[in-house]
Amino acid sequence: MRFGLALCAVLVCSGENYHWDLPARFPVPRVPADNPMTVAKVELGRYLSYDKRMSVNRKSSCATCHKQELAFTDGHPVAVGTTGEHHTRGAMSLVNVAYSSALTWNTAGITRLEDQALVPMFGEHPIELGLRPGDGFLLSLRSNAKYQGLFERAFPEETDRFTIANVVKAVACFERSIVSARSPYDRYHYERDDSAVSDSAKRGEILFFSQPQSCFRCHGGANFGGGPEFHNTGLSATDATIFQAPTLRNIAVTAPYMHDGSMPTLDAVINHYSAGGHDNPHKDPLIGGFHLTAEQRADLIAFLQSLTDEAVLHDPRFANPW
Amino acid sequence: MSRRLAVFALVCTAIGTAQTLLTVQGDIPSPVTLKAEDLAQMPRETVTVQDQDGAQVKYTGVLLREVLTRAAAPLGKQLRGKALTTYVLAKAKDGYQVLFSLAEVDTTFANESILIADQRDGKALFGYQGPLRLVCPNDKAGARSVRMLETLEIVQLQKK
Repeated sequence: MRFGLALCAVLVCSGENYHWDLPARFPVPRVPADNPMTVAKVELGRYLSYDKRMSVNRKSSCATCHKQELAFTDGHPVAVGTTGEHHTRGAMSLVNVAYSSALTWNTAGITRLEDQALVPMFGEHPIELGLRPGDGFLLSLRSNAKYQGLFERAFPEETDRFTIANVVKAVACFERSIVSARSPYDRYHYERDDSAVSDSAKRGEILFFSQPQSCFRCHGGANFGGGPEFHNTGLSATDATIFQAPTLRNIAVTAPYMHDGSMPTLDAVINHYSAGGHDNPHKDPLIGGFHLTAEQRADLIAFLQSLTDEAVLHDPRFANPW
Repeated sequence: MSRRLAVFALVCTAIGTAQTLLTVQGDIPSPVTLKAEDLAQMPRETVTVQDQDGAQVKYTGVLLREVLTRAAAPLGKQLRGKALTTYVLAKAKDGYQVLFSLAEVDTTFANESILIADQRDGKALFGYQGPLRLVCPNDKAGARSVRMLETLEIVQLQKK
């Protein structure tokens, strides 16, 4: 009888919906209908994300390039794959990725995290995690006692639970659980706590949303970026590539900046945009340059620093479970 | 505390003092300045719109039409002939500007409920949004919902 009750408790727990602890008026992330958020899938995704079985040579996991303390970036200009191959782009933050319409620097077609996860897992140009179909990855999960329980709770109604489709579903659920909504700016803006940010940050917020700077036109919404539009930022006089405007949440801890990690500081980024970038025929017309006094520049940086959410950087729910 | 007093207190708390929040000027008999207490005593309206993140947000304030009427802009029976070439240039503190025609807000023409809001979800607007902003419920894009609104410039194009 006691065993039966315990079994029931596990089954009930496995289907428990995941709830974000969001402040009032903060938007709720979008979730695809075919992959609802459950506590069990989020937990499985966390184990997978920190597991080096996820790479061909067992040297890397998702967390190798997405470190919690760096807002799930890696601190390097460009990402380095598990075989040492350098990516051409920097590792993007996973914080609030649930709100993003675009999931890569410049690929508009990938709009679901379940699809995006396949790129680092199986992509060959460049190799990131280097997995290949039939290489024994799923077998290594199936033979692991920890994963047997995790997969059973995450996908209790499936007979063949150990599939790539379920792996990416779980990883996507974990990614969607990583929500930053408790920064000092959030307490100021959503909870109306005037003491949460400095007067300098308050002035910087107004600059951010003002016409001459127009930062908000690309980095808009509650997530300060991640929208569906792509832009050429005038980073070079020859590169015609357009890029998404990533979230600015926790931006103070995600240096170096830009898609190629070419700018070491926020000050350097502001220098780039205030100068109007490098002219090229593809540069977004919004990048036309502006003037800031030294005080205004400090205010704008203070505002950006107010977007750092220490809670999400240290929340044990997002930490390595192994 | 009466409703109007409560609104007045809310807005004054946000801006600190009863300073001029909005100036209406241009082709009207004389300029009009409005403080928080003036807006609190005018007819109040609430409109619900969807924000950029898909959330339903309630804005409360005074209809643009009411403010233009108070400034003696040509509305109603006066809005005919040359007066129909009159527009309103809405200017923000940061230099942003958009325009509306008088016919857009007049009850006998488009009758749009464009709002000069001082509250969002019952709280005074602050920071980059306030103390006043426009809300245009029927605009598909948000670009005319001017934040940090300071001035309404009335311009009649056809003078002769």
